[in-house]
Amino acid sequence: MLVSPKSYMYEMIRSELTDIVGDEYVCNCDADAFGHSIDYYWIPEMWHDRGMETPKPDFIVHPATTQEVSKIVKLANHYKIPVIPWGGGSGSQGGALPVYGGIIVDMKRMNKLIKIDKESLTVTCQTGIIAKHLEWRCNKEGFSTMHLPASISCATIGGFLAHRGTGVLSTKYGKIEDMVMSLEVVTPTGEIIRTLPVPRHASGPDLTMLFMGSEGTLGIITEVTLKIHPQPEAREFRAYIFKDFHTAMSAGAELMRSRLQPCAVRLYDETETITHVRKVFGMELDKGAYLVFGFDGRKDIVACQMKYAREIMEDKYKGKDLGSKGGDLWWENKYKFFYPGFMFHLPQAFGTLDTVATFDKIENVYWGMKKVVTENFPQARFIGHFSHWYEWGCMLYARFIFEGEDVPKDPREATALYNKVWNLAIRAAIDNGGVINEHHGVGLKLGHLMKDLYGPAMPVLEGIKKQLDPNNIMNPGKLGFEGA
Amino acid sequence: MHIDQFTDAILNCRFCFMCRHLSGIGNVTFTEADTPRVRASMIYGVTQGTMQLDNEDFIATLYRNDLSGACRRNCVKHFDEIGLTLAARADIVEAGHAPAAVQAIAKELAATAKWTAKGEGDVLYFEDLYTKEAATVAAAFAKIMKKAKVSYITVTGGCIGKGLKTLGYLKEAQDAAKKFAAFVKKTGAKTVVVSNPAAYDALVNDYPAMGVKFPAKVMHTSEYILSLKLKYKKAGDVYYLESDFLRNYNDLPFPHDLLKALGAVNKPFGTNDEESYSCGEGAVVLPKIDATLVEKLAAYIAERADNPKTDKIVTASPYTKLMLKKYTKLNVVTLEELAASLL
Repeated sequence: MLVSPKSYMYEMIRSELTDIVGDEYVCNCDADAFGHSIDYYWIPEMWHDRGMETPKPDFIVHPATTQEVSKIVKLANHYKIPVIPWGGGSGSQGGALPVYGGIIVDMKRMNKLIKIDKESLTVTCQTGIIAKHLEWRCNKEGFSTMHLPASISCATIGGFLAHRGTGVLSTKYGKIEDMVMSLEVVTPTGEIIRTLPVPRHASGPDLTMLFMGSEGTLGIITEVTLKIHPQPEAREFRAYIFKDFHTAMSAGAELMRSRLQPCAVRLYDETETITHVRKVFGMELDKGAYLVFGFDGRKDIVACQMKYAREIMEDKYKGKDLGSKGGDLWWENKYKFFYPGFMFHLPQAFGTLDTVATFDKIENVYWGMKKVVTENFPQARFIGHFSHWYEWGCMLYARFIFEGEDVPKDPREATALYNKVWNLAIRAAIDNGGVINEHHGVGLKLGHLMKDLYGPAMPVLEGIKKQLDPNNIMNPGKLGFEGA
Repeated sequence: MHIDQFTDAILNCRFCFMCRHLSGIGNVTFTEADTPRVRASMIYGVTQGTMQLDNEDFIATLYRNDLSGACRRNCVKHFDEIGLTLAARADIVEAGHAPAAVQAIAKELAATAKWTAKGEGDVLYFEDLYTKEAATVAAAFAKIMKKAKVSYITVTGGCIGKGLKTLGYLKEAQDAAKKFAAFVKKTGAKTVVVSNPAAYDALVNDYPAMGVKFPAKVMHTSEYILSLKLKYKKAGDVYYLESDFLRNYNDLPFPHDLLKALGAVNKPFGTNDEESYSCGEGAVVLPKIDATLVEKLAAYIAERADNPKTDKIVTASPYTKLMLKKYTKLNVVTLEELAASLL
């Protein structure tokens, strides 16, 4: 908090904010400030669970237009107040938490769908729209964004852009950065800029990608044009149980090398197959590793793709076929994993050690992380699945879980334990050729590991930040950049 | 405290985001606080002493809740975030922290808990305050009954407990319920038919929960009209807006069955069948708590109509009809009115 709420200066700033967005859309009430003090990151959840106060913003504002966002950012520069963009608040890395107080720019009022272009197959919208609402609007017109992550119901499109989000159909349709045509951005000094209208060009470096994944540290993305797709005629899934995780990984990698273009591939290690897949599906499964994949598009082409994929799974890797039912169960229950009762939650201590690597390294990343977690914390469980597959590798969604008495009651001790696991596991991933993160972002949680990841390249990122944000007002302390 | 009966909802909803897209009020105020996650999290704070039961913002947030039940329906485990809010409201009231405006509404509601009866028969039609205000609903029901040649008793009057319970006045709600049950018993009616889904939910769910024995079978008009097996002209294309109480609270099939019997082609309204398009029906007295919220909810619905000027929109709820008529130009009729127009 930079200005005391008891000071008349606080009211002066509030007056300027209300002048920009209107009385109704500036708030510092206890309930909403509290709502913005906790996201989906375990540390603030645990902090609240233990009856501790969580850091609150000084103001919450709800702009309706890009011009209003620009004015807010200029005002914040004038008074050198932190600005923290907030979408759905469902990030797991603490990226939107107001750790230094300041102004939360809650983007949800900027929820307009501006245009569906049926000729170019694009949709243009403000970035505060909740992803599910945008998807519904596209569906009504016969299209889909094909960006269907578990957080679709709670995250905004802006949140996905800011954290380089990934949906369940990423293998065919790409991550959010692959779906973007262009952006409108309010820079940290309040200028409104637009990146080039198409993503493929030779007109210099790609400014769009500079802002993708910038987590509100380099500006506020206010509008986006995304690709959309016709709803496919067919979408079919099939699942297999393999004798072990290595065999399943080999089969999955071969499927990707075959360039058959599956829309989704997912592999669960032996432990997660038993503890999680069986529980969610309510289905008895043999011991082993569960692999599911699917294809979508024209019915005849899907049938052909599936035929060749089955040959890989059955003839070469001897997977036990669970049929289309075994695959459909995954598709139908894909979000069920994340609902209370199925998802991990306090009093458990848990974390998703999201990392990504090429096929030649991904198994080493898995074993490297598993080794450091289980050797250093024998009380912890370690499970993993591989959820986003590309031509060159895939993402490891590894998790550690501490239960009951193994989780310290003292919040400071719990924080210390939690961070130790993360530090060891992520450094093991980096040492084995992994990258910190595939789609959750960096935020507060992993910022201190950015130097480990980037090495001598980190000053390049820091230089860009300093150049764009000379007063360091945009979401300070996140993404490994300096605090306020 | 009443909230202690909802520990499951507190612990499971407090950090869960999965239903935020269905937070009716949150979708029009854009605030984080107006979501089950933050409400449950704040209530957890009350149990830990980090949020005070008399905090004005906390209380205002809880009374803003539209109680649609869409989030509870969406939840895989159906954690009862509605029950949790109602329990917190009851705790606020019992601790003497109810805002003056809420106290005034409760007092006004309690004063309406009296009824008059006219007509005779085994069937009793209850015309509550909202049904009475939308005068054409009872008239439509009368036309249907005339066609079916069924004589019936009409009971007109005020709060039968639902509004009071929703505000957190449990004792007063129970008193009103007992009085209404006694009144109905005196009429000798065997079946009570209600148009207002809130009244249906009160009689079917609240009364047993409050230990009030109700002396007659309860039917929503949609179920009752179906049972008459009348012949109708074809309704054609309609857009049916689900009732919070009939779908999210009771999962009642009868409105859809009736539409089918009327030959209606039910076209999907808006973009999905998950959101509440009721204008805050679940909160029963939201217009008295904050009419601007109802206006925003109505505008949200109007924006989603395919052809706002021409679409024939049907609702089971006289409340929803009243609010949409008040705040939008949508063409809305109730199920009774649609059925009567097709005789």
